Amino acid sequence: MNSNRNYRALRTTGGPSQTVPSASARPSSQAAVVRRGELIAKGVTRRFGSVVAVDSVSLTVKAGEIHGLIGPNGSGKTTFLNLLTGYYRVDEGQILVDAEDLTAAPVQRRPHFGIARTFQKPRLLGTLSVLDNAMLGGWEHAQSGFLETALALPRALREDREQRELATELLHGVGLGNILQRQANLLDHAEQRFLEIARGLAVRPSFILLDEPAGGLTEHEIEQLARIVITLRDCGIGVLIVEHHTDFVFRICNRVTTLNLGKMIKHGTPEEVRNDPEVIRVYLGA
Amino acid sequence: MLTAIITGLAMGAIYAAAALAYNVMYSTSKVLSITTGHIFMISGVVGAFLIGGLKLPIVVSLLGSAAAGILFGLITEIVAIRRVLSRSDEHLWLLSTLALATIFQQAVGLWWGTEPKPFPRLIPQQFTSGIWDQKFWLPIGTVAVSVICLELFYRRTLFGKIFVAVSEDAFAARARGLATDRVRAISYGIAGLLGGVAGFAAGQLTYAYFALGLSLTLNGFIALAVGGLGSNLGAVVGGVVLGLLTSIATYYFGGAYQQTIAVGLLLVFLLVKPEGLFGDKRTRHV
Amino acid sequence: MNSNLARLAALVIAVVALATLPFWAHDPYQVHLATLIGSYWVLVAGLNLVVGYTGLLSIGHVGLLAIGSYAFAILAGQHGVNPYLAMLAAGAIGGICGFVLGLPSLRLPGFYFAMATMAFSMIVSEFLLAQDTLTGGGAGTSVPAFTPPFATPNGLFWLVMLIAAIVTWLTWNVARLMWGRAAIALRDSDVAAASVGVPVFSIKLIVYTFSGITAGVAGSLFGSLQSYVTPETFNFELGLFFFICIVIGGRGAIVGPLLGTVVLTALPEVVAPLAKLGQFFYGALLLLVVLLVPEGIGNLFAILREKIRPRRLEKHVVDPDLARLTSAIRSTPVS
Repeated sequence: MNSNRNYRALRTTGGPSQTVPSASARPSSQAAVVRRGELIAKGVTRRFGSVVAVDSVSLTVKAGEIHGLIGPNGSGKTTFLNLLTGYYRVDEGQILVDAEDLTAAPVQRRPHFGIARTFQKPRLLGTLSVLDNAMLGGWEHAQSGFLETALALPRALREDREQRELATELLHGVGLGNILQRQANLLDHAEQRFLEIARGLAVRPSFILLDEPAGGLTEHEIEQLARIVITLRDCGIGVLIVEHHTDFVFRICNRVTTLNLGKMIKHGTPEEVRNDPEVIRVYLGA
Repeated sequence: MLTAIITGLAMGAIYAAAALAYNVMYSTSKVLSITTGHIFMISGVVGAFLIGGLKLPIVVSLLGSAAAGILFGLITEIVAIRRVLSRSDEHLWLLSTLALATIFQQAVGLWWGTEPKPFPRLIPQQFTSGIWDQKFWLPIGTVAVSVICLELFYRRTLFGKIFVAVSEDAFAARARGLATDRVRAISYGIAGLLGGVAGFAAGQLTYAYFALGLSLTLNGFIALAVGGLGSNLGAVVGGVVLGLLTSIATYYFGGAYQQTIAVGLLLVFLLVKPEGLFGDKRTRHV
Repeated sequence: MNSNLARLAALVIAVVALATLPFWAHDPYQVHLATLIGSYWVLVAGLNLVVGYTGLLSIGHVGLLAIGSYAFAILAGQHGVNPYLAMLAAGAIGGICGFVLGLPSLRLPGFYFAMATMAFSMIVSEFLLAQDTLTGGGAGTSVPAFTPPFATPNGLFWLVMLIAAIVTWLTWNVARLMWGRAAIALRDSDVAAASVGVPVFSIKLIVYTFSGITAGVAGSLFGSLQSYVTPETFNFELGLFFFICIVIGGRGAIVGPLLGTVVLTALPEVVAPLAKLGQFFYGALLLLVVLLVPEGIGNLFAILREKIRPRRLEKHVVDPDLARLTSAIRSTPVS
């Protein structure tokens, strides 16, 4: 495993890649993960009473692309994210991954379709270690049932070991490798955010949705976050970033969608969006 | 049969009072306290002690019971709620109120004894008065008056309106300068007052019995679940429904399955209409 | 490595001491007490997964213990079924009852669920009192002993220790592997749990059903030990006691609740004035723990150590290793 990793690290190129690592590098015991192409929201609408929080928004997150979602306070960004991940039901519209319709799928079903997310206020298990928290993300791929686990059958032990290895690598990858055993409630803000990203990656997602990941981070930390997100894209994951930090968004995103009062007002490349008169008016006026 | 109905109404009034107490405490703390029933129990025991043991006049004893109720309501808030609400662990208040309820119950058991003791007569009346016996009409009357007072308090007094404000949005209330801690303490005191007076009035029906607390906590909760959390009308309706149901069922089938029937009612509601008859469905926010 | 070796040594010593207890105990009462603790622990170990890990406040679990005891008494005592089969049946019945209780209740918010379990224990009491042809009503029923070699008090002790060891091993496995993390996620942040695909309801139901099985088995052992049970034996206070053992011992651990069970059962025996205070003492202790050391006394030592000699957390700067990140993500085979 060690030599394979170093070899593959040397081979890493910059662009988005759908290529499969050579068969000899694949751990034979891991089940294959389906890599999906597009997460699509079509005409998604959600009301709370008489308030239309999200008004017929359509958006596509493509694999190997970073998609930014911006808008002033109350524009419905986080609500939209919650609709994509199933915390709210849509009133109208559809949510699809490639050809599969997720609209009615409950929250805990969405990781099955390759969707992972982080939270604006990190939701961690404070009494557990950093490593345990990241390993939780691997639940989707742990097939062992209760009885198997209770009896410590080989598959349960093996899956636990695999999740531990993956989580360890991911944690080193996001920069938390030195504090694997630290209790999660002792982490500072940036560490909590990066831990959530590692946990999300342990889901082995096709799409990862980040809810205001730059909030409360220092310049240096935002820089690290940017490098991580770009790496995710280069590995073929589709990233949706809901953010306030418009500079950050314009810098790293391939496409940007702007919401205002629940409606989409502009969609395009960062250049197109940042120069759009409507967007400028909304932000300067807000 | 008429006796069964009157008994049902009287017990229903007590359950309704417990449900009201739940509501009052819940409105400012979002906590359902397990000590709710115990406040009634303590007032009943204190009342019996003051009249029967210390031979004090009825009015003084009533004040004593009310004071005991208020005191134990405040103790609940200060000891079990205040420190615990600030912690992030959601279920800690369940444990703290459970612990406090146990302490109340066992302390009374140790001091007063574990046998139910009769509560003295409050108004001179023959014991052969049948359905007109004060043990039925004292609770019914007291609770009816209490409900009216509570409604007037919420709608007509400034204090009451402050309560409503805090219960609807504690954060905004605090931002406007309201001392939510103090409001909460006062609301627990009011719930205690309710328990004190109602417990005193109901003493002849329930007897002064240390184990009454737990039973009332459960039955008051059933009334609350049936009527709907947050609704005072629901509390009254729920209490009456529960009281009548168990009383009439006991009349026809004997008292062996009283608790089972009450719980059956609860189960039906929780399965079919978990928000109760008059409660409101709440959406969760992520 | 050193501390692991020390832990292993401690475990071996404890196991040997327990196995030989009947030989070095001063009098038979100590064996009886140890057997009692063991039978309690069989229930508490299962309940620990429910309360300490999954965070479900099943305060009425004593109802399942009662069902286990009476099922065993009726099958083995009244109908002459082989006691070991009867014990297994009691476990199965306990599991079924746990399942049936959990099905409607586990979807409810915490307080509602707690009340539902409390109501359940009261219903079981009513039922046991009312169905007196089956259960002997208020007078109770006798509970048979097991067959040799477990028929004697020492024999029963060893049977209980054996089963306790098995149940401890089972729950330890669940706790340390992925299911344990999922359970803790349900306790501390079901939002996080759902976001990684943990099926909230079915996990709760499975864990709760398991705790019903252990309660049923514990009921058989407990009943046989007491040799006679009445509905009063299974009062709400006993259910509260189990609950308190777990919370005081420390949630999210196996050893803490085990020690909690041992200490809290033995304490009133050893400290006579506490026996008089009984439940009052447990309630007061629970309140103190919840207010001062909510993580449990099991974690008290760690907390004290922190206070006396705080470990300085090295200031840590996040420094991603992108190569490792890439290879970790790409190590996932793609279909």
